[in-house]
Amino acid sequence: MTLFSAIGIAGTGVTVHRKWLDAVSDNIANINNASRTNAEAFRARYVIAQEALDGNGAQVGGIVLGPQGRIVYEPDHPLADAQGYVQYPNIDLAGQMTQLIMAQRGYQANLAVVDRARDAYLAAIQLGRS
Amino acid sequence: MPAPIEPISPLLPTPPTPPTLEAPARTAGSGEDFASMLARGLQELQNLQDRANDLAVQAATGTLTDVHHYTIAATEAGLAVQLAAAIRNRAIEAFQEIMRLQA
Repeated sequence: MTLFSAIGIAGTGVTVHRKWLDAVSDNIANINNASRTNAEAFRARYVIAQEALDGNGAQVGGIVLGPQGRIVYEPDHPLADAQGYVQYPNIDLAGQMTQLIMAQRGYQANLAVVDRARDAYLAAIQLGRS
Repeated sequence: MPAPIEPISPLLPTPPTPPTLEAPARTAGSGEDFASMLARGLQELQNLQDRANDLAVQAATGTLTDVHHYTIAATEAGLAVQLAAAIRNRAIEAFQEIMRLQA
């Protein structure tokens, strides 16, 4: 798409931020998962945003997993091992909320670009209309 | 003593220039005429409309993954329609202006 390229480019940014929102949502949804110490706990997903390969906009380059789970002493937990330890995901809720705000604002900013670009293109189309 | 005045040279018949009927050569770079440009633009408009229609069907059937894909496609299709209408209006305006020349 070359005619209204600003709209398409902003659309790629919206897609990246939508995926970021999905990742944060996934992290927060799984933040209280308990697992056995000999199993792998849920690891936070981090979206890697990068420039698009064709140079027009952004894309998600990949997903990077966060650190391993943290060991918590909870002998009453049904999943506790013989020593009374369970494993929880090593996710900081405050950090995830910060990322949530950033992803949401980025999403809105890209949609604002779409809106402004549409206004600008409309003004160009109506140029000279008496 | 005044300088001698040179006699006026007689008029020589000039060879007639053949009338040029062909249009002046187009400037380099614009290798296509208006009609094919218009056809290409309409084809692009058709593609945008088809894309927006496909995404609208996806939104209705629940297979749409991103909401903004549809809204952006619809925005682009709407802009393309407005652009095509503006070009059509300008072309007709120019045509009518030319037709009024004989009156």
